[in-house]
Amino acid sequence: MKTVIPVENNDVLGAVRGFLGRLFEAGVIEALFVPLEADSGSVLPALVADPARLALANPLAPVMPINGARAVSALTGKQAPAKLGAVLRPCEIRALVELVKLQQATLEGVTLIGVDCPGTFEVKDFAAKNGKAALPGFLAAAHDGLEPTLDGVAVRPACQMCLTPEPQHAAVHLELFGVDTAQGIPATMTDELAARLGLSDRPAPANGRQAALDTLMARRTEARQKELAGIRAKMHANGGLGSLFATCIRCHNCMTACPICYCKTCLFKSTSFDHKPEQYLNAAKRKGALRMLSDTMLFQVTRMNHMSTSCVSCGMCTSACPSDIPVGAIFSAVGEQVQTAFGYQPGRDLAEPLPLVTFHESEWTEVGESK
Amino acid sequence: MSDQAPYEPRIVAFLCNWCTYTGADLAGTSRLQYPPNVRIIRTMCSSAVDPVYVLKPLMEGADGVLIGGCHPGDCHYQTGNYKTRRRYVALQEILKASGIDERRVWLRWISASEGTKFAATINDMVTAIKDLGPNPARLDWAA
Repeated sequence: MKTVIPVENNDVLGAVRGFLGRLFEAGVIEALFVPLEADSGSVLPALVADPARLALANPLAPVMPINGARAVSALTGKQAPAKLGAVLRPCEIRALVELVKLQQATLEGVTLIGVDCPGTFEVKDFAAKNGKAALPGFLAAAHDGLEPTLDGVAVRPACQMCLTPEPQHAAVHLELFGVDTAQGIPATMTDELAARLGLSDRPAPANGRQAALDTLMARRTEARQKELAGIRAKMHANGGLGSLFATCIRCHNCMTACPICYCKTCLFKSTSFDHKPEQYLNAAKRKGALRMLSDTMLFQVTRMNHMSTSCVSCGMCTSACPSDIPVGAIFSAVGEQVQTAFGYQPGRDLAEPLPLVTFHESEWTEVGESK
Repeated sequence: MSDQAPYEPRIVAFLCNWCTYTGADLAGTSRLQYPPNVRIIRTMCSSAVDPVYVLKPLMEGADGVLIGGCHPGDCHYQTGNYKTRRRYVALQEILKASGIDERRVWLRWISASEGTKFAATINDMVTAIKDLGPNPARLDWAA
């Protein structure tokens, strides 16, 4: 069902807060995962149990300190303890779908509120340049299908090449693309939810949504192809992957920030690949020298094997990298090839099994046979 | 190994306990000859071979890695080898995508009764890996 959330005096944020409050009032949710404005100027993801706190809610702030799928995983586990709501960006929802398949979260009893996402800024840029005050510019960019900028600073690299700016699987979809938000926020929601909220069918007036999305997608498709082609060229050049990860300091931030890397104890944080002192010496003698700490490439390529089928290209890894390595683009370049091989698109469909836990007897029958 | 010695590839083989490992054993008890370039590690199922165990020897400089499992449909654990097959496909794509020579990693289905096939597979693999030449990772100190 389509409706329009009325906006008064151009207070878009107030309208969104009011709508979220109604979810509490109607008993649809008992708690809500949503970003809140903090005194520091930053916007932090939080679990709101008291609707009074919604006065600080700001799900429109273009900043993403974590991929919210991780939080929803923590908040639901195998069974949500209450009727939960979660306001998420498209890439967060896609990561959440993957986490549900990995049995790290559940959507039972969870109401997803998805918001169109024109892009997000790095946390430090958003805080330093008072991103909260830039809401009008952000909404105008969404209206025109442009990437928002913050005092000349661009959105995160992953956002600049994101091809899925519209949320899927959400019970409520708040639309921003092509919308003049002063006239109201168009919303699509399930009929059941609309009935509980007492909302009637009220299609939004014609707007430039499709045109804005077309503009955005044309530019981003080009940006993504160019970026991934550049990465692929580097991977196949002399030095290959090694040159891309040459500045890796093995802080494991990429793995920590990744919503898909859910293992409580990563193999690479265990002692599995610790060797006896003389074994390092032997390796150094064999190769002439040995990078310390060792196994940097092993870490990266193993992570590709473990999570690239589910990589949603959210780019949290790139944002977390202190060495400015384009980790997300590298994983997107590799992930795209693996996902294509299995005809799999992470986050597309909950019913679609993960490629590496399923099989068909009749596939790849040539594999494992002598040539 | 000194630079002057002829190049002899080193191959690490992960063989499933129920089929290929027993096949290798049969090759031995049948006194079949095959090149001594292979170091065999027994695993309970080919699907127990996480890609990390294939990548570690490759990055340390092993010239080839062989994964051996039961023929499709014959897995001791019903469906392990079908999952091995998918994981191998993913690994091949990742190796190709990331610029590592995927021809160094082989997957072969060899049953417990196929001692001859095991010996022939090792022969073929040693020849193929000799053609590829030494793994450049053997001297790559910065990986």
